[in-house]
Amino acid sequence: MSGAKGRKYEKKMKHQPTSVTFHTGDPGVSSSKNYNGAGAQQQERKYGGIQPQRDQPWTPSSSFKHYHEQSHYRDGQTSQGFPKYITATTFAQARAAEVKAMLKAVSNKNSNSQVFQALPKHMRRRAMSSNVKRIPRRLRAIAKRELEKASQQKKEQSKNKSRKARRRHGNLLLEFNRRQRKNLWLETHIWHAKRFHMVKKWGYCLGDKPTSKCYRACYRAMTKHCLLQDLSYYCCLELTGGENELLKALARLTNRETGLTFAAVGCLSGKKQGSLVLYKAEKYPLEPLGPVTFLWKPKKMSEDRQLWIWFHPALKQDLIPQLKTVCQCGEPVVQSIPLPEPSTVVSTVEEMPEPVSVGSKRKRKDGTPLEEITVKKFIREKTSPTLIPACWKSQTTGIVLRDLTLEILRYRLIGPLSHSVLSDALYPASLCKIFHSQHEKHCSWWPEYCNEDNLFLHERQQNLFQLLRGIASPAEISAGTVLGLVVDDPRLTLPRKRTKSMPNLSMLPDFEKVRQLTVEGITDETSASPIWDQAVRDDVTRSKISEQELNRMKMEILVPGSRLDLGAKESKIPILLIHQSGKLTGQECLGWGSGWDILIPKGWGMAFWISLIYRGARAGGLQEGLKHSQHKGTAHFPDDFPDCAAGMRFSGEQKKELLDKYKRRPPSKRPNYIKHGSVAPFLCPWQQLVEEWEMILKIEDERGVPEECRGALPAPESSGEQMSKGVKVKCADEEMKGSPGAADFSILRNRTVLKQISAWCLPTSGKGKRANCPASFSRQQIPSGAALLISAHNPRCLVWTRLSLLKKGSPTSHALICIPDPGDIQMLCADLTFCGPQEPKHKDHFKKKIKELKKKKLASSPGASCKVQGIGCSELPSKLISGLWPEPLPSITSHCTRVTIGFVLRGDFSLTAGCGEALGLVSVAGLLHMLSQQSSDRKGLVLVRNPASLQYRFARIMVEV
Amino acid sequence: MVRFKSRYLLCEISFASPNGWQHVEEKKLHRAILEAIQKAHGDFGVACCAVSFAVKYLNTYTGILLLRCRKAHYRLLWSTLAFIHQLGKKETCAITCIHVGGTIRTCQKFLIGYNRQQLLRKLPTCKSEAERTALQEAVRSCTLQELQEDVVSASEEDSN
Repeated sequence: MSGAKGRKYEKKMKHQPTSVTFHTGDPGVSSSKNYNGAGAQQQERKYGGIQPQRDQPWTPSSSFKHYHEQSHYRDGQTSQGFPKYITATTFAQARAAEVKAMLKAVSNKNSNSQVFQALPKHMRRRAMSSNVKRIPRRLRAIAKRELEKASQQKKEQSKNKSRKARRRHGNLLLEFNRRQRKNLWLETHIWHAKRFHMVKKWGYCLGDKPTSKCYRACYRAMTKHCLLQDLSYYCCLELTGGENELLKALARLTNRETGLTFAAVGCLSGKKQGSLVLYKAEKYPLEPLGPVTFLWKPKKMSEDRQLWIWFHPALKQDLIPQLKTVCQCGEPVVQSIPLPEPSTVVSTVEEMPEPVSVGSKRKRKDGTPLEEITVKKFIREKTSPTLIPACWKSQTTGIVLRDLTLEILRYRLIGPLSHSVLSDALYPASLCKIFHSQHEKHCSWWPEYCNEDNLFLHERQQNLFQLLRGIASPAEISAGTVLGLVVDDPRLTLPRKRTKSMPNLSMLPDFEKVRQLTVEGITDETSASPIWDQAVRDDVTRSKISEQELNRMKMEILVPGSRLDLGAKESKIPILLIHQSGKLTGQECLGWGSGWDILIPKGWGMAFWISLIYRGARAGGLQEGLKHSQHKGTAHFPDDFPDCAAGMRFSGEQKKELLDKYKRRPPSKRPNYIKHGSVAPFLCPWQQLVEEWEMILKIEDERGVPEECRGALPAPESSGEQMSKGVKVKCADEEMKGSPGAADFSILRNRTVLKQISAWCLPTSGKGKRANCPASFSRQQIPSGAALLISAHNPRCLVWTRLSLLKKGSPTSHALICIPDPGDIQMLCADLTFCGPQEPKHKDHFKKKIKELKKKKLASSPGASCKVQGIGCSELPSKLISGLWPEPLPSITSHCTRVTIGFVLRGDFSLTAGCGEALGLVSVAGLLHMLSQQSSDRKGLVLVRNPASLQYRFARIMVEV
Repeated sequence: MVRFKSRYLLCEISFASPNGWQHVEEKKLHRAILEAIQKAHGDFGVACCAVSFAVKYLNTYTGILLLRCRKAHYRLLWSTLAFIHQLGKKETCAITCIHVGGTIRTCQKFLIGYNRQQLLRKLPTCKSEAERTALQEAVRSCTLQELQEDVVSASEEDSN
């Protein structure tokens, strides 16, 4: 029995006497008899065991002890045998104790009923429950006590404030502050909380997925219209310093082999946003940190360069210490930035909650409504963890590291119409006509900013923004393009109803210019924006007119519904538009899922969000983001990075979650993974997989491979030969140590090697399929020596692969990727409807063990009372869970009939491709081993099997670079 | 009130030798009685009685036993009790029914009176002074001091 029911039962049985019997467990002691006092000691023990109640009804401790003392001298033959006679004293003691227990049981009425309920029917009176005087006088005292108790309980339950008081604006904000003390809220939190399932992740409250059914609708939005996502939880780090120092410092975290670095020409000018994977300082290719995107501030004369690094919050705790060491940053600088003093603002809020809770009428009378509004807006500032210093400075290199998390908001628009949504929602700022109003308080930065250079720039940006309307899809622009812009307050141009913005074909701009734009791209000057300036950002945030004020002004307008003209009060918001590339790899749907990111200074989140939503953008949560990256065929952080610390943490959590979910079902209602031959259905054992493949390779090596084959190298590989030898030596050293560390494997990110493997994966005679593979790489039969060399150099490497199923089936996460037998492929050739081989059912040897254990547990608890059983059952699964392999896993590669080379990370039916697709990680050694043995026309065929199924299904494996 | 109605049989077990008490347990008793019913009344009797048959209370120190049975068939159980001569294997015993009640509460009340009566009956037969004092002590300790007023009120309440 558990919970409320158990408690109720316990309360009911509190005064009831329990049975009193002898202890039968150990015969040696129990041979003594109750009628003499020798058993008294033992009786007491027994009582303690039987009666869980606090006050024992029998109270043997008092009566028996007393008796025990006086009778002990008489019969010293405690355990020799039984006396022949009965003493009157024992007799009397036993009866007396029983009478006492019975008295207690009888005298206490059933605790679930009230006094008047126990009265016979003819004595009941109206209003007895509330009026004590209605109850017979002899019962009044008890009834009074009961009534008081009830009223007290009621008082405790009720909130100390009325709902009206609680919902008052100021109190509500204070409550909100209290609630986001642990997990921060984004600015759009309340909007999301009404429409999304919220999850608490990475220190934020984030929308997971919409409450409405929208799997397909979101996909449609991504393909045909526009999906909007709030990515403000992404962390932004600002690095300021000399260009050379910055590049020198950051180069330690990157490696050229993985692709473009921070120093890429396109990115360095500030024209483009770049993305890369960071490694721990000089640890490449081991210990990756995770993927980041970065953005340089466009260059001006002789300035210090400014660099923004955007990354996922799961990465923060690993990345920041690394960056600090790389930049040689010392102790944190305490509040070196001229912020709008959030601390003081906070103090005003904290000290006097009075002005916050003032009603709307009084506020207007105050004359300084704006001040208060800003106070409210910044109320969330208090919740940001003040313990973590936001700024670090290096004495030697002069680099300043600043944490801009939540200072700049980031929204992502995905879909072909995202630009038309943007161009409908945003209006480039109107120029400042009245120059003499500079001394005015509101929007001070804009008139100052409006000098000739900047005006020229603004005009160009404006023209460009208009030009972008002519582009059919954002995929036409080169990836990562950055466009700066200054826009009007989006609330002023809000449509009355939610509309769906479509490209206006009649107003298309000049086609020539558009073509020029797509070919040449955006020039670097236009990517400048005042949003880079801290002072401007603060000013924009502070000068925002409150919603309330704006609505009041709208109300007072002479012609209802006309555009409000705020004049100099109107704030101009600097924003940055960053192009996001869509699907870059693969054959079908190239450019799918491209879109724009907008960076907005904080405080303006809801204004822009609503304005975008009113243009027909559909909002998505974390799940939609995941699906987007899956359809796009890119890895998603932290799910798909098991070699990063954050990824490992994530998969650990995921395992726990899945295990809990699994354990919630009874064994008969859940898959028995042992029988399905799935060794690790919740957590992929990458380490073991990689090690096993290393062993397999070694064994094959010993069997004898023609030595001269090793000399034959493909052209791209020869350059890295020297280095790779070094790697080999290093690997050997590590093996000598024989200490498998935390993560001894890594994901292969060397682009040349990846390209080579990718070329090998493609079938050579595939009916003209995939003709446009890079010609520079040999697509002929794999030179076995080269394959061996690659796998020897990367003995513990995994590689991201995409799998697309040939026929039915949709892979799930943790599915196995196996090498097909030659027989399987023959079957496939002979019979086109052949789905795939089946795994024979495995035997569950642990079932018996679990049963035996259970029996033992039962046998060891002699009382076999209900409680003991319950405990036994709950303790059991800590060691063995029925249906799961216990901890030392068997060999992964050879556990099933087909040899395993990897696991699926995420898989689903892909609406883009129209078949099951998955993203998986396979061992490089295993992949090359498989490829070298497959015939050229059936190259890259693998088998995929879900953990809860016995059916293997054919899939084509692709390595996309 | 709409409920399942039961009869509670308050019984006293007495053994020929004091050794018999050693192995008395609720479960064993339950089994023994059911077996006895089987012997006396056959399958029908067992089926009738077994529905809500339970040993509600057992005190091996005083030999008091409280059995529950459905109201319709308690006579079958009652009559069987006389035929039980053994519990387990060896020990000879006898079960006498001292009270039949409709609720546990009435049985408990009866038991209080019964025990008191027994104690008072024992008092004059005491042989030594020590025994007498012990008995007197026991009789005096039969009431709960702290619950005095509740007891009074409850007894009054019951009388109504």
